[in-house]
Amino acid sequence: MRSFEDDPTLDDLLTPEQLQRLNHALSALCRKPVTITPHRQDDAVAVEFNLETVGWLSGGASPGERQVASELVSFLMMFVAKYRLAANLHHDTTEASYAELQRQNEALKASEARYRELSGQLQQRVDEQVEVIRQTQQELYESSRLRSVGHLAAGVAHEINNPIGFISSNLGVARDYLDDLRGLLPGTEANRELLDDFHDLIGESVDGAKRIASIVSDLKTFSSIDQADYTLCDVNKLLTSAIHLLQTEYGHQLHITERLDDIPKISGHPGRLSQSLYNLLDNAAHALRDAKSENGQGRILVKTTARDNEVDIVIQDNGCGIPDANRSQVFDAFYTTRPVGSGAGLGLTVARDTVRAHRGTIKIDSREGTGTRVSLTLPGT
Amino acid sequence: MAEYTSEDNKLTLKVVFYGPALSGKTTNLMQLHSLLNPERKGELMVLETRDDRTLFFDMLPIGLKSDSGLDLRLKLYTVPGQVQHDSTRKAVLSRADGVVFVADSQPSQQDNNANAFGNLEENLEKVGLDIDTLPLVVQFNKRDITGVVDETVLQTRWSATPWSPLIMASALRGQGVIETFRTLLDRLYTEINDEFELVSRHGIDRDRFITRLSTSHEVNRA
Ligand SMILES: Nc1nc2c(ncn2[C@@H]2O[C@H](COP(=O)(O)OP(=O)(O)O)[C@@H](O)[C@H]2O)c(=O)[nH]1
Ligand SMILES: [Mg+2]
Repeated sequence: MRSFEDDPTLDDLLTPEQLQRLNHALSALCRKPVTITPHRQDDAVAVEFNLETVGWLSGGASPGERQVASELVSFLMMFVAKYRLAANLHHDTTEASYAELQRQNEALKASEARYRELSGQLQQRVDEQVEVIRQTQQELYESSRLRSVGHLAAGVAHEINNPIGFISSNLGVARDYLDDLRGLLPGTEANRELLDDFHDLIGESVDGAKRIASIVSDLKTFSSIDQADYTLCDVNKLLTSAIHLLQTEYGHQLHITERLDDIPKISGHPGRLSQSLYNLLDNAAHALRDAKSENGQGRILVKTTARDNEVDIVIQDNGCGIPDANRSQVFDAFYTTRPVGSGAGLGLTVARDTVRAHRGTIKIDSREGTGTRVSLTLPGT
Repeated sequence: MAEYTSEDNKLTLKVVFYGPALSGKTTNLMQLHSLLNPERKGELMVLETRDDRTLFFDMLPIGLKSDSGLDLRLKLYTVPGQVQHDSTRKAVLSRADGVVFVADSQPSQQDNNANAFGNLEENLEKVGLDIDTLPLVVQFNKRDITGVVDETVLQTRWSATPWSPLIMASALRGQGVIETFRTLLDRLYTEINDEFELVSRHGIDRDRFITRLSTSHEVNRA
C-alpha cells in the first residue's frame, strides 16, 4: 500500500476529467493549445511539484509560454496535493486507529475468555471443596454414630455384667441344692428323671450365662469405655475380642485361624484400635461371603508378629478380592462394594485414620477372585 | 526509513520535528524555508492551521543531486503537538530517519517537554524505531524570552544522555535553527552513509552532505 507521504503522481492528483478541463482552460489562455501528460514529449517542460516531476507540459506558442503555464500548474498542484496529503493521512490514521481498536477488541475478547475460563475453574474448585466438606461432615457423622454405638454397647455390657454375675453364681448354688435335694427325695423312677432333667437345664443355663459373660467382657474390651485415652494395649487381646464378637455376629460359622505371636504391648487407643480391627475382620468376612465357592472353603488368617519395636498385624482372606479399578478408592470414605444401606463403607477409612493417628502404616494387597491381605504396622511403645 | 529506488536513483530521507504544542516546530521549519538555500528546495506546505496550530503536519522538501546522478531528497515534517493528535504524530513519525526534538525553554513548559519526550519514546517504540540508534537532536527554543530556564541547568540535566549537548535556539529570530539542522544532518550521515554508500558510490562525504543541504543565504552572502 502507498503511504500518505509517497510522492503523488499526476494520476493521484487529478482525475482524467479534471486534467482535460485544465488542458482546456490553459489552452484558452495560451496563444496555442497546451497539453499536460504524464510522460515526456519532445518540446515539453517539466511540471514540478515539491522537487518531483509530476508531468510534462507541451504545446504553446513559445518556450516562455510553456514555462509560465507550467508554473501555474505547479502552483495549482500544491493545493491539490495538500488536500491529497491531508486526506491520505486522515485515511491512514483512521485505519491505524481502527486496527488498534480491533486489536483492543481482540485483547478484550481474549481476556474475557480467560476470565470465563477462570471463573469456570473457580466453580470447579468450589464444587470440589464443597464435596470435601460434605464428605468430612458425613465421616464425622458416621464416626460419632459409631462412637455412640460403642458407648451404648459398653453401657449395656456394664449393666448386664452384674446380673449375669449373680445369675451365674446363683445357678452354681442352685445346682448344689439340686444335689442336696436328690438325697432328700424318695428315689423313685419319676423323681430321678425329673432331677436329671432339672440338672441338665441348670447346666445349659450355666453355659449360657458363661457365654453371656464372655460376650460382655469382649464388648467391654472392644469399646474400652473405661479407657479414655492412650494406654498400653495388648493387640492380641484386642484381636481375640474382636474375633469373638465377629463370630457371635456370624453365628460361629467363620473359619478364623489365629497365629498370634508373643508381642509387646503398644501404646494406643484400645477402643479405636478394636473398632479398626473389627472393621477389617468384618470386611474379610464379607469378602468370604461374596466369594465364589470354587476357592474352596473360606478362611480368614489373623497373624501378629513382633519386629524391631514394631508390631505387624496381618488379616488375610481368600474371599472375592478387590477389582483393580476400585483399588485406588478403597480408602475413600463410603467406598463400598456392598449394597448401599448396609452401613458399611467407612471401615477402611476408619482403620486408615486410626493407624495413621497411631503413626503406623496400612497396606492392602488384593487380587480379584483370590483374596485380600491387609497389613498393619504399629509402632511399639 | 530511508527509501532508495534504483530505477530513478532516488534516495528519500525523512526528518521529523517533534515536541510539545507551541514549542516552535512550525517556526523552525518556516525559518529553514527562508534561511536555507540548498541546491533544491520545494514549497513549505502548511497543513492546515486552526487557531494557528498545526492540524496535520507541515512539510518542506529539500534535495541535492550528486555527480553520480543520485537524487537525494530530504523531507522535513512537523507533527501537531497537542495530546489529542497522537495518531497523526505516530503516522508522521513512522519510518523517520531522524528527529529534532523542539523543547520550550520557559519554566512553565518543562512538564510539557517531559511529557512530549515520553510520548516520543513511546511512539518510536510503537512504530518500531530505536531511540538509541535513531539520529536525534534536542533543541531548547525560545531563548529570547526572559526568565527561561538557565542553559547550564538544562545542559547539566541532559549531560548524562546521548543527546548532550543541547542546542539553544530562538526560532522566532532564526537563531540556532540551522545549527540544530546541521547537527541532525551530521548524526544522520553517520547512520546512513554505509548503507547507501554515499561517499564510496556517490562521492558525497560528510562535509558535502551537510553543507550542500544546509547552505544558508547568509553564508552565500558572506
Ligand atoms: N518568543 C518566541 N516565540 C516563539 C519562538 N518560536 C516560536 N514562537 C512562538 O510560539 C508560538 C507557537 O509556534 P509554532 O511554531 O506554531 O509552534 P508549534 O506548535 O511547535 O508548531 C508562535 O506564536 C510562535 O511565534 C521563539 O523562539 N521565541
Ligand atoms: Mg506547528
